[in-house]
Amino acid sequence: MLKKLLFRNQDIKQLVIAVIGSCLGITFLITSIHYLIKVNEFGEGADILGPNTLIVQKEVSNSSTLNFAKTDFSPAEIAILKKEPFILDVKPVISNNFDVSFETADPLVPRFRSDVFIQTVDPKFLDVKSNKWHWKMGDTVVPIILPRDFLVMLNTFMSASGIPQISDDLAKDIRFRFTLSNDTQKEWIDAKIIGFTNEVPSILVPESFMEFGNKKYGIAADQKITQLMISGKESEFGLVEDMVKSRHLESKNSQIVVGRLKSMVGTLIIVVLGISIIAVFVSCLVLIQYAQLLMSRNAYEVRTLLRIGYAPKQIIRTFFIYFILIFGFVSVIGLAMFLVSKYYLDKMFEEGGLYLGKDFTFYSIAALLFAYVLFGIASFFNAKKGIYKQF
Amino acid sequence: MDITFQNIMPQPLASMQHGDESIWGNHVVLKHGHKIMLNASSGKGKSTFTSVVFGLRKDFEGKLLYDQTDTAKFTPADWTEIRKIKISVVFQDLQLFPTLTVKENLFLKNELCNVFSENELIQMLEALEIDNKWEQKCGLLSMGQQQRVAIIRALCQPFEWLILDEPFSHLDIENTRKSLKLINERCNNLNAGFVLTSLGDRHEFNYDDEIKL
Repeated sequence: MLKKLLFRNQDIKQLVIAVIGSCLGITFLITSIHYLIKVNEFGEGADILGPNTLIVQKEVSNSSTLNFAKTDFSPAEIAILKKEPFILDVKPVISNNFDVSFETADPLVPRFRSDVFIQTVDPKFLDVKSNKWHWKMGDTVVPIILPRDFLVMLNTFMSASGIPQISDDLAKDIRFRFTLSNDTQKEWIDAKIIGFTNEVPSILVPESFMEFGNKKYGIAADQKITQLMISGKESEFGLVEDMVKSRHLESKNSQIVVGRLKSMVGTLIIVVLGISIIAVFVSCLVLIQYAQLLMSRNAYEVRTLLRIGYAPKQIIRTFFIYFILIFGFVSVIGLAMFLVSKYYLDKMFEEGGLYLGKDFTFYSIAALLFAYVLFGIASFFNAKKGIYKQF
Repeated sequence: MDITFQNIMPQPLASMQHGDESIWGNHVVLKHGHKIMLNASSGKGKSTFTSVVFGLRKDFEGKLLYDQTDTAKFTPADWTEIRKIKISVVFQDLQLFPTLTVKENLFLKNELCNVFSENELIQMLEALEIDNKWEQKCGLLSMGQQQRVAIIRALCQPFEWLILDEPFSHLDIENTRKSLKLINERCNNLNAGFVLTSLGDRHEFNYDDEIKL
């Protein structure tokens, strides 16, 4: 009876417009948050190097080949790079200064041996758990991160030897061995693969192992820093790229392309997200305004109900539940529209070569719940204000 | 529940002269269970009296006490409780819902405290000769018929006081007599009192008290 009395004076056209606006706003909000997260996650986990990370070196020119230009980085040059606002961190990539060879040491795998180049980077650039990535004097096994190209080469060798090729996971179970040597001494240490990288061409080892090797077997006193590892800020990768060009540095192109792509798509989605937040805000305001209009149209009814003994709370609850149900409907429709757009957008991204995964992101659903709670609170206080005005 | 007017002077009436017997500006107690006649000419504040007693207006000096409690301290929840079970009112402008039927208007009030069954409500309408209007929208009834619906609606709750603001202004003598009989019976059942404001007509009833404005 109360509902019949209070909601008969509706302007259905206005309500429908408000609901359509809210549905669109909610759809854009969930969609943009979902894809913003997906684009940021893109590429994570595929490589053991952290996201937005580059390895740079100075461009090698004719003059540097003739020793007229330096190819190593001085501490001052590193300090200047660190000061750039779009750069999070810069660390030198340290290389081996001694002879190293790498070989299989597993009875199940045919012997394969090669002289290799090993490097180490600050662990904070690596997407690897610290308990796996450590080595100290006396440890018999060194954890390593292998270039994926090396595994391809190993598999080519396996194939040629008539042995089945090995996967990433299987490779982690095979025993390998380093041989460290200089002109006077030699040592063997077992190695275990803990991850792979597409971005670094050399085998990565923990810093402590490199220090040990360089100290015990090193053949030059001063080691030159020819490569740097740089991590750039999210969505400012374009600036990192500009800096790399302007300072005549070079990097593996794929790292820059992915960074640039993520930065560009991320920026676009942030713009869409901003517009979506405004759209949701405006459509919620329209719904709230509609509620105010409804209450003012029913001012006589509300006032009379209060005079004949109805509690303000009961009338507030009636309005509150009504608008919460409307927004619930809006949320369900918005979610359904998101699912439909997701189906087509995922397809579009896939066709464009961006495999973002088909799972849902927690934060997009959380954003919907947050918007719902926020609207609920706003509706409650709006109804409370409107009803008590008539008391 | 006694209602005490302790030197109450509503702002709109402050500039007027009020006698020693007037409820305005004097100490007047409405005794629990008394049937009271409030007789005054137009503009003396009969509707203001209703609004003050019912907590609809607070723009007055002095104190309004329910028993010994100052109503100035009442919260909206307190007033809701008062309106639900202590004081009922027939407003001069009736305050029915014109788009709802007689049945819906009565149900809306009755379901708050579930005082009467549907049959009892129809019997009351029969007593006032408007039972044939049960399914009709209130907005389509004559003023006299609406007054009778408003009277019955006011009876659909427990109360200690019933305030009737010129409730018979559109009723003939016979319908007034029937309405007053119904009101008196209900008040007697509840051991409640009423205050009937009038422009001078006593409606052939023996009141316990008479107050003036």
